[in-house]
Amino acid sequence: MNNIALGRYLPLDSVIHRMDPRAKIGAMLLLMIAIFIPAGYTGYMVIGVAVVLAALLAKLKFSFLWRSMKPMLFMLVFLLIINILIVKEGFVILQIGSFAVYSEAIMQTLYIVIRLMLMIMITTILTATTKPLDLTLGIEDLLKPFQVIHVPSHEIAMIISLALRFIPTLIEETQRIMKAQASRGVDMEEGSLKEKVMGILSLIVPLFVSAFQRADELANAMEARGYIPNKKRTRYKQLKMAGKDYILLLISVCILAFMISIQLDILPFTVDWI
Amino acid sequence: MPIAFKDVSHIYNADSPFSYVALDHIDLEIAEGSITAIIGETGSGKSTLVQHLNALLLPTQGELQVLDQCIDSKQKPKNLKQLRKNVGLVFQFPEYQLFEETIIKDVCFGPKNFGVQEEEAIQRAKEILKVCGLDDSYLEKSPFDLSGGQKRRVAIAGILAMDPSVLVLDEPTAGLDPQGAKEMMELFVQMNRVYHKTVLIVTHDMEHVLSYCDQVVVIRDGHMERACGVKEFFSDIRLLRELRINPPAVIQLRERLRSEGFAIDPSIIDIKQLAEAVASEVKHHE
Repeated sequence: MNNIALGRYLPLDSVIHRMDPRAKIGAMLLLMIAIFIPAGYTGYMVIGVAVVLAALLAKLKFSFLWRSMKPMLFMLVFLLIINILIVKEGFVILQIGSFAVYSEAIMQTLYIVIRLMLMIMITTILTATTKPLDLTLGIEDLLKPFQVIHVPSHEIAMIISLALRFIPTLIEETQRIMKAQASRGVDMEEGSLKEKVMGILSLIVPLFVSAFQRADELANAMEARGYIPNKKRTRYKQLKMAGKDYILLLISVCILAFMISIQLDILPFTVDWI
Repeated sequence: MPIAFKDVSHIYNADSPFSYVALDHIDLEIAEGSITAIIGETGSGKSTLVQHLNALLLPTQGELQVLDQCIDSKQKPKNLKQLRKNVGLVFQFPEYQLFEETIIKDVCFGPKNFGVQEEEAIQRAKEILKVCGLDDSYLEKSPFDLSGGQKRRVAIAGILAMDPSVLVLDEPTAGLDPQGAKEMMELFVQMNRVYHKTVLIVTHDMEHVLSYCDQVVVIRDGHMERACGVKEFFSDIRLLRELRINPPAVIQLRERLRSEGFAIDPSIIDIKQLAEAVASEVKHHE
């Protein structure tokens, strides 16, 4: 369980790490929108270069980014199969009997895969360079304007930070219960289907029981310390935007603008070399 | 020797920046039919040590002999199920492993996993629950309706029903009231004396070590600091001090008397003997 890369914070010291979480979240949102604009491979090249630069600035190893994308491999195979079966455009690459694989099938898969890879890389850079707590502070601040329409920004942030806080606890708990049940002869790897179902049941029931118990205790502990959900609260950590944060946002806006202009074909120069 | 550690080390997350040496070249033998206390500060490696006994954790280095099975760092033990049946491991706060609808079903879960027939499992479960102090009226109740102490009894009964020849308990009395803890310890002594099981108990309670155990194993920062008889252990006051162990009341009294000038044998660990020694000292000086 310790080699999960997706969504993990890496305590390094870099420019990206020191940036304001709000700026990072904002930039992430802008880039995500940019990715969804169908600007062809040129656009993805630009975003790709920006993402790689960000990763280098954040001192992240590419093996780490690669590992965070591993869970996607299954998706890729799935997509490829579907596309090969459905898409019948372009020229024939491979002919097996009466079944043909078309070039567009591969191209479309590649297109989606690049999109997904970019999105995962961007989110990984965000979560790897921002402490979960800072992330929720950022979300809270960004949601503040929506309080006008009664969005409980502070409560949402609190829920997220509590959820994040309990992920390691629940993983630990799961491992503990798995071990305890293994001592009682549960074998998750071998055994009949019935045994496996029993095994999973013997894990899930205690996990739920203890999770609910913990939630109850936590609620009591919070109340005991005077937590009242919708009361106004002060905060120890104040976020402050600095020059580099504005630069990050500016670059993101530029990328988005570039993508839109490619899509609308309003660029003064042409970029149709692909 | 039913249990023997030979140069066993365990490193968590080996080959990664988070690697952590939990056990460092442990050599240890535990005699059959004894009650052994495993003591040490939090994080010293006690829990890691006991999890090797039924191969939940495998040694990173070295090998260990458990009953007639040999576990080494190179291969996964073949007869894992047999080993887990023979070594019953009760985790800390075992009440969290209960999951069945009724107590009797939960206690039967272990034996059935090890291939015991339904009827025999139920029979065994009933007997074991009685030994654990829960009568027949509890059988069809939900384990989640019980009190904390009762839940723990059910969980321990679930392990005992597997009829293991070695019983390993990780802090079985944590969070129990003194009376409940005493009854729990007496249950383990009964398991040892009547059912001839080898018992290993991880504990912080020196009173329990003194009153119920035969052997003491001290683990400190992953090293084995000491393995000896209980009497020898509580005679070595310097070791106790070095380990920052709060000695049991009898030992404290003995040491207090000795520092006040009473000539008392430092190997006395029994309140009666201590009283006699004091009496004879007083008589001697009158």
